[in-house]
Parts: sequence; C-alpha cells; structure tokens
Amino acid sequence: MPDKTLPKTDVVIIGGGWTGLTAAYELAHAGQRCVILERGDHRHDATSFAGPEEHDELKYALRYTHMMDVKQNTLTFRNSRDQRALPMRRLGSFLPGEGLGGAGIHWNGQIWRPLPSDLEMRSHYVDRYGSDVLPDDLSVQDWGVTYDELEPHLDFFEKICGAAGYAGNLNGESRDGGNVFEGPRRNDYPNPAMKQPISNTLFGKAADEMGLHPFPMPSANVTKAYENPYGAQLHPCTYCGFCERFGCGYFAKADPIICVYDRIKEHENFEIRFKSTVLRVEKSEDGKTATGVTYIDDQGREVFQPADTICMNAYALWNVHLMLVSGLGTPYDPETRTGTVGRNYSYQTIAAVDAFFDDEIITNPFMGAGAMGVVVDDFNGDNFDHTDLGFVGGGYIACKQYHGRPISYQPVPEGTPSWGREWKRAVRDNYLHHADMVIHGSSMSTPENYLDLDPTWKDAFGRPLMRMTFNFPENDRKMSEYVMNRTVEIARNMDNVTSVSSVNLAAPGKDYTIVPYQTTHNVGGAVIGTDPATSVVNRYGQMWEHHNVFVFGACLFPQNLGYNPTGPLMGLAYWTLDHLKNDYLGNPRPLMDA
Amino acid sequence: MIPTYSRRAVLNGLAATMAASLAPARHAFAQLDDRAFFFLADTQARLLASMCDTLIPKDDFPSASEAGVVDFIDLQLAGPYGQGEGLYLEGPFPEGSESQGYQLPFTPAELMRRGLNAFGEAEPGFADGEESRREDMLTRLSEDDVDLGDVPARAFFDELWQLTNQGYFADPIYGGNSDYAGWRMVGFPGAHAYYPSFVANHNVPYPQPPMGINHDPGGDGGLPRVTKRQEG
Ligand SMILES: Cc1cc2nc3c(=O)[nH]c(=O)nc-3n(C[C@H](O)[C@H](O)[C@H](O)COP(=O)(O)OP(=O)(O)OC[C@H]3O[C@@H](n4cnc5c(N)ncnc54)[C@H](O)[C@@H]3O)c2cc1C
Repeated sequence: MPDKTLPKTDVVIIGGGWTGLTAAYELAHAGQRCVILERGDHRHDATSFAGPEEHDELKYALRYTHMMDVKQNTLTFRNSRDQRALPMRRLGSFLPGEGLGGAGIHWNGQIWRPLPSDLEMRSHYVDRYGSDVLPDDLSVQDWGVTYDELEPHLDFFEKICGAAGYAGNLNGESRDGGNVFEGPRRNDYPNPAMKQPISNTLFGKAADEMGLHPFPMPSANVTKAYENPYGAQLHPCTYCGFCERFGCGYFAKADPIICVYDRIKEHENFEIRFKSTVLRVEKSEDGKTATGVTYIDDQGREVFQPADTICMNAYALWNVHLMLVSGLGTPYDPETRTGTVGRNYSYQTIAAVDAFFDDEIITNPFMGAGAMGVVVDDFNGDNFDHTDLGFVGGGYIACKQYHGRPISYQPVPEGTPSWGREWKRAVRDNYLHHADMVIHGSSMSTPENYLDLDPTWKDAFGRPLMRMTFNFPENDRKMSEYVMNRTVEIARNMDNVTSVSSVNLAAPGKDYTIVPYQTTHNVGGAVIGTDPATSVVNRYGQMWEHHNVFVFGACLFPQNLGYNPTGPLMGLAYWTLDHLKNDYLGNPRPLMDA
Repeated sequence: MIPTYSRRAVLNGLAATMAASLAPARHAFAQLDDRAFFFLADTQARLLASMCDTLIPKDDFPSASEAGVVDFIDLQLAGPYGQGEGLYLEGPFPEGSESQGYQLPFTPAELMRRGLNAFGEAEPGFADGEESRREDMLTRLSEDDVDLGDVPARAFFDELWQLTNQGYFADPIYGGNSDYAGWRMVGFPGAHAYYPSFVANHNVPYPQPPMGINHDPGGDGGLPRVTKRQEG
C-alpha cells in the first residue's frame, strides 16, 4: 500500500529529459494535464553550468557529477549467458543522465537523421542482396515506420535545436558539400555549419582527393543567434571544448532545459516533481491498461499517482527496467526466443584512428565543440555495395575536435610506454599535433544480446537490478574492421602526417567491456514494429499489451544504426505525440490490431 | 621553522636521490607544506611520492610530487571520491572477467591504503632504488606480478596511475598541477575558454598562458581564493 494516493492526472510522464519534456510540452498544449516525475534535481544552464566553474574536467568528465548515481540504481553485466553477470559498480562504457534535462544536458549535440534504408533494414537488404545476406544469428528487423513518415518530425527537431549544417539532399536535389547519401529533406539546416580547425580540414581534403564525400557534421552546437519554434533563444557556440559531459552555460548547445523546459514551465497544464523516482507502473485488474505509477517522493514517501495515459521517458535502459519490474509486456526468454521485453538490446560499434602531424600543424585541440567534425558517410548503412563483404551495416567516419582536456586527451603514437619518462615526453610532443578519427558503427541485434532481471543484486529501492547480456556479433566485428581500414587509408593520405595508429574495440576475439567510455547509445529492449511477436510497441510507440502506455527513446530501435540516436529518437517522439494527440486521446484504444 | 609532521618534512625524509626533486620552490598548495596530510600516514606519503615520481619523473617539467600530486591524492582519498562516492558496493563480490570492471569490496581510499602498506612491505627498498629499478618494480605491479595479499596488484596500480595522472593535469584547485605544471607542459590554456574568433586560425599557436578556475589575472597563480581570504 502506498503512503499516499494523489488525485488523478491526465498524463504522467516518467523522466524529464529530451523526450519527457517534449512530451509534456506537446501534450500540455493539447489540453492534457501533465505531471513529470524526475528522479534527479532541478538545475538550469544559467545557474548551474557557467564557466569557469563548469570547466572542471575532474569534477564533471571524470567524477561524473551530472550523471546518474550507481548507488541508487545500476545494472549487472556479462558477455554471454554462460557467465555470471556482475554489477556495473561504477560508470564507464555509458553515462546516463539524472536531473532536469537528463542526458540531454551533457550530450555532444551531434544531430543526425536515419538513412531511409536504416528504417527498413531487413526488407532493404533482402531486396537488394537476396535473403542470404542476413546471417541467422541476427534478429534485424524493419522499424515499421518509414523515413517519409518521420521526415517532418526530424525536420522539426532540427529546428528545436537550431541545428547547424549543410543539406546534401534538398528535396531530392543532391548538393556537393553536404551529405549526398542522406534522405531527401524538405529544408536545409536552420543554421550554417560550424567552423573547422586544421585537423578536420586536412581530413576533409584527403577524403575529397580520394573521391569520397566529406561534409561538416550536423551540430546542435548553434552557430548564430537563433530563436526556436517554441520561442527559446540560443547563442552562438564559443568552441570552449567543454561540451560532452558538461552542461553549456553559454546557451549555445541545444538542450532540453533551454529549448523545451523554459518554454513550458509556466503553463497551467504542466507540473514537474523532482527527486521523485518511479518504482513501477501499476496495471489494471485485467492487465490491459496501466492505472498510474508508484514513486518515492522527495520526502521518501511511497506515492501512487493515477493517470489516464502513461508516458515512459526514463532513457532506453531504464524504460526496459521499469517494464521488467512492473510486469508490463512479456519478458524475452533467449532459451525459447519468445517474449519481447528486453529483446534486441544493441549498442554502438566503435573504432578509432589517430593521426600524428609534424610540428608545422598546430591543432589547438582545446578549441573544440561536441559536434565540430568533418564526416565521411560513404561507408555507413548501405551507402556502399555489401556484395561479398560478409557483413551488413556500416558506420560514419568522423574527424572531430571536441576537446583537449588534458587528463583525457593524451594522444601518443603507437609503441609509446603507458607511463614514465618516455610517455611524459610523448604527451608533451603530440598534444598540439594530432587528429582524432572515430568510426561510429552500427550494431546489429541478435537473439543472445538482451536485457532481463538479475537474480542476485538489488538497487537502493530493493528492486532487482537489470541484467545486460551483450557481446559484439561477428557481423559487427567485420564491419568495424572494414570501415576502420578505410579510415586508416584516409589518415595516411592526410598532409603532414607522420604516423597513424588504430584500435577496433570490436576486434575479433576482444570482448565488449563495460569499462572504457564508448557511447551512451544503448538501444533496443522495447522495440517498435508491426508484429507483437517481435516488438513491444506498435508503430505508434504504443504498447501492444497496454494501450494507454506510450514509450519513448532509443529502446524503440530494433537494431542500432551507424548514427547517434537522439535525432532519430526525437523524430519518433514527435511522430508518437502526433498520433497520441490527434488520434488516441479522442478515442483511447489500441491504434493497431495485434 | 617547519614542524616535523609537516608535508615538507615528511617528503624531505626521502632518500637523497629523490629529495632533490622534492623541494618545490613554489606551488599552488605551498601553504599546506607546514600542515599534516589529511589521509596519508607519513610512510605512505613518502612511498607514494616515490611511486608517483617514477610514473611522472622530473625532466624540463616538474615531477609528479613537485607538482603537488601527493597533496592531490591525499585530498581525493580523504574526500567523497576516496570514500566511495559513485561506487556501488553491495555484495556479494565474486571475481569477474576483465570486461566486467571493478569488483573489489574496497573504496578507493581502502584500496590505496592497503595497497601502499602491502607494497611497502613487499618492496621495502623501493624509494631508495635507482629510477630503472623503480620502473621495473612498477612494471611488475602493473602486470599483476607482485603479491599484495588481498589487494590485486594491477587494481592498485591502476588506481595509483589514474590518480597520479589526474593530479598532474586537473585544475590546481584540487592541489595538484601546481603552477600549471601539467598545462604548461602540453599547452592547455585552461578553464577560461572562449575561442569563437580563433578556432579557424589554422596553425597559429594560442598565445595566452594557462588560467585555472580560481585564477586571478595578475595574481599569484593557482592559490585558492578561499585560502587567501582566510590569510586576510
Ligand atoms: C556523454 C554523452 C554524449 C552524447 N552525445 C550525443 C550526441 O552527440 N548525439 C546524440 O544523438 N546523442 C548523444 N547522446 C545521447 C543522448 O543524450 C540521449 O539519446 C538522449 O538524452 C535521450 O533522451 P531520453 O529522453 O530518452 O533520456 P534522458 O535524456 O536520459 O532522460 C531520461 C530522464 O529520466 C530520468 N529517470 C530515469 N529513471 C527514472 C525513474 N525511475 N523515475 C523518474 N525519473 C527517471 C532520468 O533521471 C533522466 O533525467 C549522448 C549521451 C551522453 C551521455
């Protein structure tokens, strides 16, 4: 029994990050009384993220001050089912958020759209290469929603962020200097592309000379004074180099506080309660709907908040955890390969290439921005012929200069000892003369990579921790090696380069490890689709089994694409909200037949 | 007169080879030199200084301990990080694979205390050794090739090396990187970061010297504001 039951609200939203605040904005304006429950605290760009105090590498980048607290909730991890999963005792591989704005505060702002073929992955590959192209151990599937359907919503999110870039496909017209592989866009980016330092410029030049198609990375680090469609004012980026893992006190990196929260916080239909951790979603007696959520409030009381509609916006991983501890949907069983909650968890496959310059090139790496990069998309998705390559998917190659923070940025050529006199000399000699390239690769879903509940360890609220079972599929190891080798070729062709080194985190024989940071692009586990046997939500983001529960975030991705997730997942969020507002609320029911 | 329990007194008790590098002329936490350590015992501090200075030895730029790294580590271990903030410490604690990350039941402070004590016993002559000998010993430590009882050598080494590196390069408000030793060495200008008109100036060295969070332009480097105010 809860300590307290509150009056019913129209909509309860779990989580106050990008998707949660956006859901509140759109639904409050549609006349719905919205309550957001956010486990973290209030904070604001103007008062919490100002320099120079914010520019503290130790505190924010290494002690994770803006991120979630593993003492409250974490997960257990293993590479395969025959291992015992153990707790992720400190953050590492990914850095989920907590507090107003969620991870949208400390993101980089690399803002992408999916390729049209990414959204119809299985049918696209089968159409082009025949049914043998997808190995049996991949559970790749179509999203059930197409690029053309998402395009207006992807476009709108770019406007919310004041995205900076240069269109490569404007209404079907291909434009040099943009991403010529992208799907047709109705509008160019609202702001011009970012400036580029010498490192990225030399990368672009080499790629261009090789016949590839370099373009500036699309960026939510804004380049001009800008007002977004909600009326938020954004300022030009200062290239301060404290972007990822930091909040932006300059109002220059689009984030959910300034772009959304400030424009809805005074609305009569809007309420947010901080320090309020949702423990579970409650179901009706017949199990067909949810009745509300039970949470621990800021005074430690267990409170029941009834609601007509429940929106799950707690970040990909914690949405799945909440479903598992609440008995929402049917948990996935890898033995029988039935059930869907936790199925098709996937990640991002990362490799890196370092190029070292002679002394003529001075890069000033500390002048950076989260999305200041030059990208080659020729080896992403199905932008290249996969015949006889033995894998599907791909990745973008980006030369980025996003920070020169001296604890984390210590590039040294291959063969340098990892400490001591020689190491010290190499750090000193190379700091100003290095280019950083990443291969940001797709991650295919498999029947053996999944999420369920751990039998041993509990969180601070007594709930079982979620258990993650994940290793890189063979497919992705080959993909990563292939695209990394293309990157090495570009790096070798760059002017003034004296040495090149590379590392593939998914190299053959190397297990995925939870320790070094890779990306906070955890995807899948509650995937979208048109078949209830292989998806948790229908193509509108509505749970098949509980029609008044709508799910947001990267947990919807059936497998991961080669791009960062926030553009695609916000496109999906606006798509879902569109159908929720205009179809569901007037007549609450399943929007698709099971 | 420096009290005998002071940091300078403790660190000056090192072997003559090391001591030369341990007389910091002026660094951010110089005002702490006549105070005791917060967390470290004197013998631990001396051993730690010689280990840190093997990891980051003196060359044209200061050694780790000259740059205040021992002070940094002492403060970190006494503070929230050392006491296990951001670390899930619920048992049981079975052994895991490398890919599963840290699985010991120790806070960083406990790990470092146990590690320093056990290493001090296992390698009693460490601080007096030649640099090459000290390097060999730390290499063995990093390869898990030293028996430290219930402390895995590699875990202790990893914590030690991380803290040392952080101390050399973190903002001077944390007690290390004194007089911006680490930042000067690489050319990092610091926390007052604003480059909209410079970022596209290719191959031009950035002319400004480093400035940390508490830096007073024209003042005395990294001295923390709070301390100065107290001094009146
Ligand atoms: C370091 C870093 C860099 C990134 N860079 C990029 C990038 O460049 N490009 C890109 O596309 N993406 C990037 N991302 C990913 C991006 O941040 C996420 O995709 C995005 O924030 C997801 O939005 P969300 O609303 O799903 O979740 P979040 O923004 O994380 O919000 C979820 C919120 O829910 C709250 N919550 C969780 N559980 C509960 C509960 N039980 N009760 C109450 N509240 C709860 C959390 O505290 C959090 O505030 C990055 C992420 C990180 C960490």
